[in-house]
Amino acid sequence: MMDKVSFTIDGLEVVVDNGTSVLEAALRNNIYIPHLCYHPDLEARGACRLCIVEIGGGELVTSCRMPVESGMVVKTKSPKIEKIIRPVVELLIADHHASCASCPSSSHCELQKLMAHLRIDRRRVRRLRLPKVKAPLDTTNPCFDYDPNKCVLCGICLQTCESIHRVSALYYVGRGYTTRIAFYGDKSRCESCRECVTRCPVGALISRKT
Amino acid sequence: MEELEEQLLREVLSFYRGKKNELIPILLEVQGNFSYLPEDAIQLIASFLNIAEGEIYSVASFYAQFRLLPLGRQCVTVCRGTACHIRGSHQILQEIEKAVGVKEGETSSDMEYTLETVACIGCCALAPCLRINNNVHGEMTLEKVRGLFNPESSSGLSLDGRG
Repeated sequence: MMDKVSFTIDGLEVVVDNGTSVLEAALRNNIYIPHLCYHPDLEARGACRLCIVEIGGGELVTSCRMPVESGMVVKTKSPKIEKIIRPVVELLIADHHASCASCPSSSHCELQKLMAHLRIDRRRVRRLRLPKVKAPLDTTNPCFDYDPNKCVLCGICLQTCESIHRVSALYYVGRGYTTRIAFYGDKSRCESCRECVTRCPVGALISRKT
Repeated sequence: MEELEEQLLREVLSFYRGKKNELIPILLEVQGNFSYLPEDAIQLIASFLNIAEGEIYSVASFYAQFRLLPLGRQCVTVCRGTACHIRGSHQILQEIEKAVGVKEGETSSDMEYTLETVACIGCCALAPCLRINNNVHGEMTLEKVRGLFNPESSSGLSLDGRG
């Protein structure tokens, strides 16, 4: 028997199972909260900081890691939240060196969804200093390619590899602006299950046609 | 990996218990002995700590201090700190690049020189300065650079750090 908890989200009274996170509860009730690093199959890490919501007296929390409490009052939209997440998304798009037109992930891309949700103006993004050099495609893996220009470094692929597949073949490499996802040496650890490719929220991991 | 190197590495590892949190001290010590982190050493450390090689690579590439390529016999570090920058470290760097024939961050093919830059050596009063292995050369000028890197035109400059 699961306990039920009721709480208010954007003025809507909602009843969910005890232990559900605010983000999951919202998504289940068709309320979209921006998110990039969250995936239903994986443990929430709160890394992207985009799923921030306001609870109670204006405290900001990452909704993916916040379990629903009875009587909680959640606001998913406010100027305060907007002020925090808009620059994050703008910077991600500025560093996302690709056009959507030729991208295989177009139309099921989390970043596109975010842009539409926040009504981000590409002209406003262009005022930022865009990366000069396009990084080359990483084709070391036998069954998929990695495009560092599209990667948002959410870490879903690493987490998939580690927790679902129980093999860690992918790792973050480098630091700061030049961080990428890469294999090192032991390519044989990858069993080509493509679990990471199916979970990539953008088009950074692309299955190669065989 | 050569036998001698492997023996040295095993000796280094014998001081550790094989816990994951010993990775960075091990990497530091291995680099202290080899001047860089050889691929074979990474494999051995990975099996010693029971972690993936990729994880070690991830850590080693995060810290600027770890290098994955061997150093040249003379490691030239040019200071690019504020004081040195004001006093022309950029020209010094360009002059060294010209004299040695390698760009910043590269090692010459004969393994003689490695050229790198650093945010501050810590002797701003001697700006612009550079370091060759562990010797600091202060108040560099283009002439001094030419003297240091072209032995035939050397004007009696010593490498003892008093430059």
